[in-house]
Order: sequence, then structure tokens, then C-alpha cells
Amino acid sequence: MREDARQRLVTWVATSVMPHEGRVRGWLRQRLQSPEDIDDLIQEAYARLAALDRFDHIARPDTFFFQIVRNLLVDQIRRSRVVRIEAATELDVPSVYDETPTPERIAGARRELARVGELIEGLPERCRKVFTLRKVEGLSQKEVAERLGVSESVVENEGAKGIRLILRAMREETVDPEYRSRVRDERATKRQ
Amino acid sequence: MNVRQSASEIESDAARWVMRIDREGRSPDVEADLKAWLAGDSRRAGALLQAEAVWSMTDRARLLEPAPRRAPLGRVLAAAAATAAAVVLVGVLLLERPDSYVTEVGEVRRVPLSDGSSASINTASRLEVEMGERVRRVRLDRGEAWFQVAKDAARPFRVEIGRVRVEAVGTAFSVRRLEGGAEVRVTEGVVRTWVEGAARAPVALAAGAVSIVDERAGPATPRVEPAAIDRELAWRAGRIDLAGETLAEAAAEFNRYNARPVVIADPALADERLYGVFRLDDPESFAASVGLSLSAPVAADEAAIRIGDPPG
Repeated sequence: MREDARQRLVTWVATSVMPHEGRVRGWLRQRLQSPEDIDDLIQEAYARLAALDRFDHIARPDTFFFQIVRNLLVDQIRRSRVVRIEAATELDVPSVYDETPTPERIAGARRELARVGELIEGLPERCRKVFTLRKVEGLSQKEVAERLGVSESVVENEGAKGIRLILRAMREETVDPEYRSRVRDERATKRQ
Repeated sequence: MNVRQSASEIESDAARWVMRIDREGRSPDVEADLKAWLAGDSRRAGALLQAEAVWSMTDRARLLEPAPRRAPLGRVLAAAAATAAAVVLVGVLLLERPDSYVTEVGEVRRVPLSDGSSASINTASRLEVEMGERVRRVRLDRGEAWFQVAKDAARPFRVEIGRVRVEAVGTAFSVRRLEGGAEVRVTEGVVRTWVEGAARAPVALAAGAVSIVDERAGPATPRVEPAAIDRELAWRAGRIDLAGETLAEAAAEFNRYNARPVVIADPALADERLYGVFRLDDPESFAASVGLSLSAPVAADEAAIRIGDPPG
């Protein structure tokens, strides 16, 4: 893929998909026991996004991502010998995904983005310095290393560590409480 | 046959790949190595995309985005970076060219300064920066800012608020412009403060100190409350942190950041004391929590958010 096209995809994922990942994980947690299985499935889902040639036609990135995750889960259940009836029947799209985006939901995604700023502030000191010098002040990794008086491999380590810490913090975010209570309501209705 | 890598291991490798691409660019060598890595497991492409997204997200997330009408963050940041670069360039030619930064109501911005310092600028503020040969000078025309000052013993960093002066060599502190003076909060190191033209000698303020400097009376005796300072500077993270402030004070604080004011319709509520951390750009959630805890009605329309029923 050409570099600018790749950058557009990365930006789209950062702004339109990742803010919704917590919600999708919440949905998955109710269906998959092991956190490792959830991580695997989420990585696979992003891999599908990475293979996209075009994405500008996708009106609802959150729904789109959710559909990918759901399809992957369906495949996985099909492949496994024992089909958990309960799991299979509950794979329909929660109604929260059928709606058009509300201002609240858009604001939620925007808040999530703003939160990344706070996550950077919350990084361990050296990690945060690397992020700030490289990303805000625009120094190269080499210059960052010189400024901090460390080797370039330390800068690489710190940067990679920061990326992982931010990823982890984003997914540990609690699931939108409104969403959670609605899912509970829906399940309760179904059992009746 | 290889053991299947865990998602966590893949993520760790992906984060390293992002750093390598950032360092070397997508050269043919890098591309070839990357392609080989990606081919090893279908999940790797996904992990790489996630890590790249975080890395690129941090570009735009530096600046809080409270109001949708603002320019895209990336552009604002690029503009800020360009301005900083311009200061360096022009600085070589003219040495003293002031550069100004303005924030709107509800906007909180962090800008790098050309000397390696940075300024976090609070809502509705304006400041001018002039990096001179002997003095690094910042003029705060209105509002509030927190400075992280890069060490440079030969060139003190001086903030001017009217006739009030606050000076540091390498430290971190905030100043807020008040009617006839300024409020100074020191988060690291020591600053000196004085009033230009006054006979009184400068007063040193150490980390944890808060002092109001009156243009006529000079610096007041500082109160030393490091915990309170962190709370009072919560705006840097987009928050308002209340620990016993009255509703009237809290409403005034929210109204610094939002065009639509929080109005206390029932004066009997004004002195109720509040605790909690709130987003400074979300006065409605704040009002809702207040309504719940004080059992007061909350009514919001386009003009204002009203807490309590007017008496009578």
C-alpha cells in the first residue's frame, strides 16, 4: 500500500474504530471465557481492517468493526467441535449498533481521543519524555536519545513500551454503562 | 514447528516495528523485513495497525478537543509546531520576535517553546513569547498558563503579568492573571516573584507554594499545599477537581471553560460544598451529579444549565 493511503487508514482506525474497541471487548467478554482468546480475535479483526483497500464508504465504523468481530467469532464457534448453544444464539447484533450515531456517541468517541492525551501524561516519566520530544517537539529518535542522554535503543524500548501501555489502558476502560445495562435488559427479555 | 505466539508477544513486536518504521522510514530493507514478519502469523497485521494507530493518535491527542468547531487537531498541532519552528528560524535573524498564543473558551493547549520549555495554556488565555538573548520573556495578557521551564542558567525565564514578575531558571509553575495582580503556583523548583517598579525585594516561592501577587501590595504570604496545587492544576488533564469548594465556586470554575454557563437558580444552594472530579468540558454531567446529591432540579437549555428552583 502506498504510504499516504496507509497513513489515512491508520488515522481512520485511530479516530473511528479504536474508540469503540472497549465496547466490542465488553460484548466479547460475555461470550468468550479466556482473555487470550479475546486478544487473538481482536488482533484478527484489526488484521481484516489492515487488508482494506477502501474504507471511506463505511458509514458506521463501529458497526463495521463489530460485524467483523462477530463473524470471526461465528467462524471460531463453527470450527470448534462443541457448539455452545447459548453462545450461538446470542450472536445477533445488539440494538445499540442498529441506531444512527447519536451526538452522545460521537462525543464519546471524541472524549476517548482526548483521553489519549491524559494517558500520555500518565506514562512513566522517561516514556512520557520520549513521546513528548518525538511527537510534540518533533525531534528524531536520534535527537531524543541525545537530548535524554541515552542510547537509541533505549528510546525505541521506551516508545514501544508507551505504545503498549496506552493500548492496555484504552482497553481496560470500562464498558459504557448505558450499553451494559441495555445488553442486560435485552438478555433478560429473551429469557422470559 | 513453532509454538503459536501469544497476542501479547505479537503486540510487543508490533510496537517495536512501529518504532523502527518511525526511525528508518519504509525503506526497501524495512519493507522486506516487515513483509517477512507479517507473513508469519495472520494476527500480526492487526497488531501492527493497532500500534501504528496509537502512535499516530498521540499526534492529535496532545491537545484536548473540547469544542467540535475547532480545526482538526492534527492541523492545530502542525500549526503550533510550525510556529515553534518559525520562532527558531526568525530568532536567528531578528533575535527578538514575540510570538503569541491564544486559546478560546474551553480550549486547553500545550505548546512547545523554542527553548525546550513548554506552556500548557488554560481556557480563554493569551500570551506572548519572546526568546531574547539574555531573558526568555512571556507576557500573559489574560487567563492562565503552566510552564515547564527548560534549564538555562544564562537566560532566566520571566513571566510578566501586568507589573507582576515571576522568574525561574529551570522549574515548573503556573500563573493566572487576576484583577490587579496574579496568582502563582509552583509545582517544581523555586521561582522569584516581584512587582516591577516596587521597592520590595523579590520573594522566593518553593515547590508547593501558592501566592497571590498584588500589583500594589506585592506578593502575599504563600500558602504551602502541594496536594491542592495538583488539584488546582487538574485543567492540564481536562478536569476540574473539587475537594470542598462551594457550588458557587465550582460553577464559576466551569463557566471559565464553557460558553453555556452553569447558573445557580436557588441561592440557598450556593454554599453547599462539593467533592469529585469532573470533565471541564462537560458541565451538564457536573450539574446532573449536583442535582442528584443535593436533590435539586436541573434544567438545561441552549442558554444555560440551571441548578435549583428560583425561590418564591
